[in-house]
Amino acid sequence: MEVVERPHPLTSDLADVVGRLRENTVELRTRGRASGSGVIWRSDGLIVTNAHVVAGAGPAPPGAQVVLADGCRFPAALVAWDRELDLALLRVEACDLPAALVGDSDRLRAGELVLAVGHPFGLVGAVVSGIVHAAPARGHHAGPQWIQADLRLAPGNSGGPMADAAGRVVGVNAMIAGRLALAVPSRVVQTFAMRRAPR
Amino acid sequence: MQTLLSLSNDLAAAVERAARAVVTVHARPRLPSTGVLWRPGIVVTAEHTVRVDEEIRVTWSDGRAAPATLVGRDPGTDLAVLRIGESDPTTAEIGDSAELKVGHLVLAVGYGPRASWGVVSAVGGAWRTGRGGEVDRLLRVDLVLYPGFSGGPLVDASGKVAGLVTSGLSRQLELAVPTATVTRVVDELLATGRVSRGYLGVGLQPVALPEALGRLAPGADARGLIVVGVVADGPAARAGLMLGDVLVALEGTPLHDLGDVQAAIAGRRAGTAVTVSLFRAGTPLDVAVTLAERPSRRR
Repeated sequence: MEVVERPHPLTSDLADVVGRLRENTVELRTRGRASGSGVIWRSDGLIVTNAHVVAGAGPAPPGAQVVLADGCRFPAALVAWDRELDLALLRVEACDLPAALVGDSDRLRAGELVLAVGHPFGLVGAVVSGIVHAAPARGHHAGPQWIQADLRLAPGNSGGPMADAAGRVVGVNAMIAGRLALAVPSRVVQTFAMRRAPR
Repeated sequence: MQTLLSLSNDLAAAVERAARAVVTVHARPRLPSTGVLWRPGIVVTAEHTVRVDEEIRVTWSDGRAAPATLVGRDPGTDLAVLRIGESDPTTAEIGDSAELKVGHLVLAVGYGPRASWGVVSAVGGAWRTGRGGEVDRLLRVDLVLYPGFSGGPLVDASGKVAGLVTSGLSRQLELAVPTATVTRVVDELLATGRVSRGYLGVGLQPVALPEALGRLAPGADARGLIVVGVVADGPAARAGLMLGDVLVALEGTPLHDLGDVQAAIAGRRAGTAVTVSLFRAGTPLDVAVTLAERPSRRR
């Protein structure tokens, strides 16, 4: 009997989704040091990250750099930030960047698979997988609403994407609380980017 | 990409399905715990999370609430059964833990609903907990039990309940009580309000017997358990057991270690008389001891 070994479709799906997600993820460097991760939000050079990743960098962070997955480096300018939402926008002079597919965080359900990519401990494009622990509360409650995920993040994951099983970015990783990963929902990011990004 | 997406959808559906029979149990200060509607009007939760006997409340994630009365507790298996006035028709879909194999994907569902995932990391035969409970099957899972998850369902990828998770049975390991054990304990608590577990009332320590005595022991065994403590007015005290007696058999079963004693008496109910074979001052002796109920712990 002939046995054909091929990877389980789940494995190849996962590799595809992760491969694309890694292209959407950038490494942020300030003062020559890795400071966190970011998501390519628009192909024309708009990058989203956490405010705490670029905090203190000032409007023109000296030597702030965005490193793409292919290794290309671009100087970055801080466009906007909001400490309460823990979001910041950076701008690089580039076009045709591999922008992330943005998903709808309001449609997340507990138990759904999620993936996160980031640069913890100097590892480039490290991937972790988990599930949604609790979906963010819908509607307009006071204070930021987080996606809570049963997912093992590390410090360098801050600012990087949290994506669903289709590779759509549903959140921006922001915090580790207990053993939970907290991410800013894509709805909040989307609104912030629309209001604060230059056209 | 279909396989990954459908797995993701299946997991979310499994959580949703299981969550219908999940309630929040308010029976301790600050942190509530999770309960499962095992049967209409019957909620099972983790015993260690039920710190009060009265004024217990359960709530649903949709905002409904109902008072609950404590039917009974079994600290041995860390299970407690509550009765709620509202006979919610949505009960858990109970699967068979015996179908779980090492490597199977499982989820734990807490009130909210909240979820964590992982795999079955070990399965094994029947085991006895540190508090003397008999669990039909060892079920160790590799997942995070978040605060308040104790008493919640362990769910397989189809959403069926495969056990009850609790952090109360082991400090180091994430364990689940299999469904067969839960159902057995629920039946017993509903019938009698308690899980009867025979109790001797002695402190014992393993000892080696001198060769001459060993030859006289059942099975010509050179080991026994020396009585180092007798609980005042306990079953052993009433039967006349003394400090220094060396127990060698119970109902003919040789006793080598404390586990043997537990195994020999745990299956026997309070009120049963058992024959204990022992050596007293070098003389073999058979003593009839009437097992009693273990005095309840102070809370």
